[in-house]
Amino acid sequence: MAKKEGSVNRRGFLKGAAAGAAALVASAPAAIAQQDAAEARPAAVVPTSAQLAADVAAPPANTRIVENPGSDFMVDVIKALGIEYVAVMAGSSFEGLHESLINYGDNSKPEMLTTCHEESAVAMAHGYAKIEGKPMMALLHGTVGLQHASMAIYNAYADRVPIFMVIGNHADSAVRGAGVNWYHSAQDMCAMVRDFTKWDDNPASLQAFATNSMRAYKIAMTPPMGPVAVVCDSGLQEEPNRHKNLRIPKLAMSRPPSGDISAVREAAKMLVAADNPRINCGRAARTANGMSLVTELADVLKAPVNNGGERMHIPNRHPLAGNGTGQPDLILNLEVQGAPPPPNVKSISITALDLFMKSNIQDFQPYAPVDLSIAADAEATLPLLIEECKKLINADRRRFLEDRASKIAEANQRARNQAKEDARFGWDSSPVSLSRLAAELWPLIKNEDWSLVGWQGFIGGWPDKLWNFDKHYQYIGGQGAGGIGYNAPASVGAALANKKYGRFSVNIQTDGDLNFAPGVLWTAAHHKIPMLIVMHNNRAYHAEVMFVQRMANQRNRGIERAHIGTTLREPNIDYAKMAQTYGLYGEGPITDPKDLAAAYKRGIERVKKGEPALIDVVTQPR
Amino acid sequence: MKRGSKRTFLLVAVTLVALIVPIVAASAQRGAAPAGNPNPPTSPVTGNAANGKALYFANTCYGCHGYNGETGRAFVGNWSANLATEENFIRFLRGRANVAPVQPSTSMPNFPENSVSDKQAKDIYAYIRTFKSNAPELKDIPTLNQIIKGASRPYKP
Repeated sequence: MAKKEGSVNRRGFLKGAAAGAAALVASAPAAIAQQDAAEARPAAVVPTSAQLAADVAAPPANTRIVENPGSDFMVDVIKALGIEYVAVMAGSSFEGLHESLINYGDNSKPEMLTTCHEESAVAMAHGYAKIEGKPMMALLHGTVGLQHASMAIYNAYADRVPIFMVIGNHADSAVRGAGVNWYHSAQDMCAMVRDFTKWDDNPASLQAFATNSMRAYKIAMTPPMGPVAVVCDSGLQEEPNRHKNLRIPKLAMSRPPSGDISAVREAAKMLVAADNPRINCGRAARTANGMSLVTELADVLKAPVNNGGERMHIPNRHPLAGNGTGQPDLILNLEVQGAPPPPNVKSISITALDLFMKSNIQDFQPYAPVDLSIAADAEATLPLLIEECKKLINADRRRFLEDRASKIAEANQRARNQAKEDARFGWDSSPVSLSRLAAELWPLIKNEDWSLVGWQGFIGGWPDKLWNFDKHYQYIGGQGAGGIGYNAPASVGAALANKKYGRFSVNIQTDGDLNFAPGVLWTAAHHKIPMLIVMHNNRAYHAEVMFVQRMANQRNRGIERAHIGTTLREPNIDYAKMAQTYGLYGEGPITDPKDLAAAYKRGIERVKKGEPALIDVVTQPR
Repeated sequence: MKRGSKRTFLLVAVTLVALIVPIVAASAQRGAAPAGNPNPPTSPVTGNAANGKALYFANTCYGCHGYNGETGRAFVGNWSANLATEENFIRFLRGRANVAPVQPSTSMPNFPENSVSDKQAKDIYAYIRTFKSNAPELKDIPTLNQIIKGASRPYKP
């Protein structure tokens, strides 16, 4: 594009500004000395006439006009990646790209989502990716924003979830504005998160931004997936793009690695020959097809499937869903980290984590001395494994497997029935029991295309015990690294992904987690993300209550002080008011379980109108 | 008041070994009273239940046993011999605390006399004895019956 007459580039402007600032700093001591000498003057430094003029006078009309800024090209790159949303907490190190996204990019694909904390931005992307199966973007401020985001990045890394992060920086210290910009700049920006970021880059040119954004996205999406970061220098964003031959390379995705055929055949032999095998799943099902494949393998082998707690692998009412009967003689671990087998139990591991590992953060879990280790993506390997197993099952073996299947089905059904009957204990208790909290919800959502977008670990797994889960998006697991503060923002991100499919998102939200960054409620309201939030409000970081109790017990000092530092009382937090403050429908606190159903119905009505609603339920601790 | 299994579950959950622990199996002991002696004890009670209520709360007993003794590590509807009499209860609280204090004998905290006096223990016991199961019979809970009926249909993919 032709340069407009009178326009200057951004770098030139900043150089001038920096020189002016330096002159002011150099003259400061002399000014102070004059001030001391003049007793009649006020204590504060009086602006000079030149400063006053600079503050009140209109800037030269064309000083900052930049046409065809580099950040417009960056938007072209981001659009080429097919990214739907970019979550931001506004920051000056990316103001050029921010402006390009909303004006040049028309705030569409990606659409900007306003958040109130960088941890929320990244955690929203975390939840979104687990529903949608691809990354959304988080745009983060240099150093300070990235540090705010670091906990959510670590969770996503440990949960093997792809996120595309772009991070602002003022790389060139020669033109960097004095003051706060220095605090927001770094020589090696991603060093502070590199231990738990799958890949990062610091492009020195617009072409490198394009090429390495493609590379970053590809790496993020190659199992084991993970968050990636591309640093985005403010100079590159703000200077005019004078390059005529910039190109955006094609996005060339890798196919996930499947297991070596000889190893897969060996695994099939072991599985078909085993008398009582069990399939343990970690994060094996990346997609809906992954869930179908795990279920098919179970059906072929007539082996029970431990669904794990992190993804949906098999419908929870499937006869083979559960631990089956007795001690297994062979365990097949699909994308399970660590998990050494019990003594005298053989085991097979298929995981892409054997192909990628870092050394500092200890997220890789204990070393597992398995009998057969296949370094490959489990979902990609399953079709081959299923076929090899089918080949080995003859009529005699099939009769044996059918007999085994009926015993497993009986055992699993007994466990499921018992869990449902157990729900009656504490049914009329106040505060409300977790079983009733979940049970009252099910009849109201079971005919919706529902999706549970929060973790079940702190709610006793009651939805799994009482509801019928049979679709991959009906459960997406938890934090990854156990970092609390994940659930509220990740559930909003997951609900955002569900929105375009018209799904009904439900989040049972713990109170401790919500208090990390409750501003995400505002984000949900502002962007009209429909979801029902039911508070599991036990007014404590209850896991920690029990940990402190245990420690006091070991030391025999009494546990009467275990509430100190672990409970959220005096005053109690009013989550209905909190929701209302952030612009949501809020109701509660509900302490009588008889009030639950009606409150849920009122909340559901609001959600069906396309907005988030929160019902605060005061609950039993567990 | 801790249990090894609960501690184990929490550690597992937080450290991701939960990946191999099914939700149903892991929570079987958390949210419900397992089958046990459904009849509450009838032995004499000498403590003050009102004082016991304050102590039950102050000692965070509710943390594991719920506010009604019926959720979490429930004992209502599952009355063990440790709760049969005041004496049994005190003996259980003490465990080996007075004998070998660095090695408590149960997964639940042991309470030595300098932590909970005999009088306080009797007050807590008196309060616990006021607990009554409010769990309706299954047949009287339409919501649960609806859930069970829905789940009992043969599974179809």
